[in-house]
Amino acid sequence: MNDLPTSGDEPGSGYEPHPGVDRKLLEILVCPLTKGPLIYDAARQELISKQAGLAYPIRDGIPIMLVDEARSLNDEDFLK
Amino acid sequence: MRSIDGLHAMIVNAFRIERIGTNTALSDCITVAALHTAAMTDDTRTDQPTDQKPSSLSAGLRDTVPAKAQVFDRDLLRRRRDRQAGGFGAHDFLMAEVAERLLDRLDDVTRSFPLALDLGSHDGLLARLRQGRGGVETVLQADLSAAMAGRARRTGNPAFVADEEWLPVNAAVIDLILSNLNLHWVNDLPGALLQIHRALKPDGLFLGAMFGGNTLQELRDCLMRAELAETGGVSPRVSPFADVADAAALMQRAGFALPVVDSETITVTYPNMLKLLADLRGMGEANLVANRLKRPTRRAVIAHAAALYAQDHAGPDGRLKATFQILFLTGWSPHQSQQQPLKPGSGQTSLTDVFGGGCH
Repeated sequence: MNDLPTSGDEPGSGYEPHPGVDRKLLEILVCPLTKGPLIYDAARQELISKQAGLAYPIRDGIPIMLVDEARSLNDEDFLK
Repeated sequence: MRSIDGLHAMIVNAFRIERIGTNTALSDCITVAALHTAAMTDDTRTDQPTDQKPSSLSAGLRDTVPAKAQVFDRDLLRRRRDRQAGGFGAHDFLMAEVAERLLDRLDDVTRSFPLALDLGSHDGLLARLRQGRGGVETVLQADLSAAMAGRARRTGNPAFVADEEWLPVNAAVIDLILSNLNLHWVNDLPGALLQIHRALKPDGLFLGAMFGGNTLQELRDCLMRAELAETGGVSPRVSPFADVADAAALMQRAGFALPVVDSETITVTYPNMLKLLADLRGMGEANLVANRLKRPTRRAVIAHAAALYAQDHAGPDGRLKATFQILFLTGWSPHQSQQQPLKPGSGQTSLTDVFGGGCH
């Protein structure tokens, strides 16, 4: 059983995804804390949850939907 | 963060790789489940005050959660997955085997699922295996580890980082949720299942595989006996795993229609116990029980356990057996089109007529 072949292509070979965040994700993601809507800030590469007062970073096209990693919003953010 | 980090953590991890359910551990698990369900009536996570942070993530709420509720160290799981992401492919045979079995079950379902979510995608294994198989158009991938999600994204499918206990997915948007050997690390399984249910569209399908109670029973037994003999006590080296009945009850409680839980046993053979430990480590599956021993296990314990393992669990060919019990969870988001139970008392035919007189 432990001699099973591992799956075919090794990640990293060939395909390199486009740098931006995938549109499909923007359609389904919500704030993990409030389950409320997120605003996509393309310039800062963040997903902003006004209800929770948090901005979740997008790194290399991957939204990091962890409160641990989120930035607390300041007054400026709310004025936007 | 914990004091064990860096090199020290590597050493600790190297010798603590046990994950199995003992009866004691299982009763802990049930207690925890009860604790969580008591605190949760419906999708109550959405009602959390917004200034509080998830228990597994923030020190704030964590302090208010009874220590017992945190069976697994999720921060450590995340760090370990980050670290193992690169070498995961060399140790993923078990994940790949279970993923195949999961996809076989999916192949048996004739309807199509345009949008699927792989919850706990690791490095994108499921998406790679699924490539070219019908029924699913897009697979979104979520993992607790950014390194794993980064690799998963290179399969050509979108990926994001998420905690299964705080699923950042809108209600009723996903057609199919798959989860391959991931939910056994979730502290709040009832809550995670509720959120999975919530994310599914009506008539959406959840298909998950997780480790069950008999997993690694040989290793658990040998380590326990060795530790007892060498140190005069035992420590939790073994994850509490749910058994079939627990999992079925939780599926039902989460509101899934037509819930089914069944189990399969996979026996893997190894030349020695250390090779088994190395594999578990490579899979990122080393011991994460929150109140595990925080110091390296003594070599004598490992050596003693390895000797017991070789003595008691060797096959005719001299290779050592390791049992993995896999629970397959299947459930549908309720929909009118699904078969429904009739209301009690609504039957039109009397059983007396069917069986004849004299039957009461």
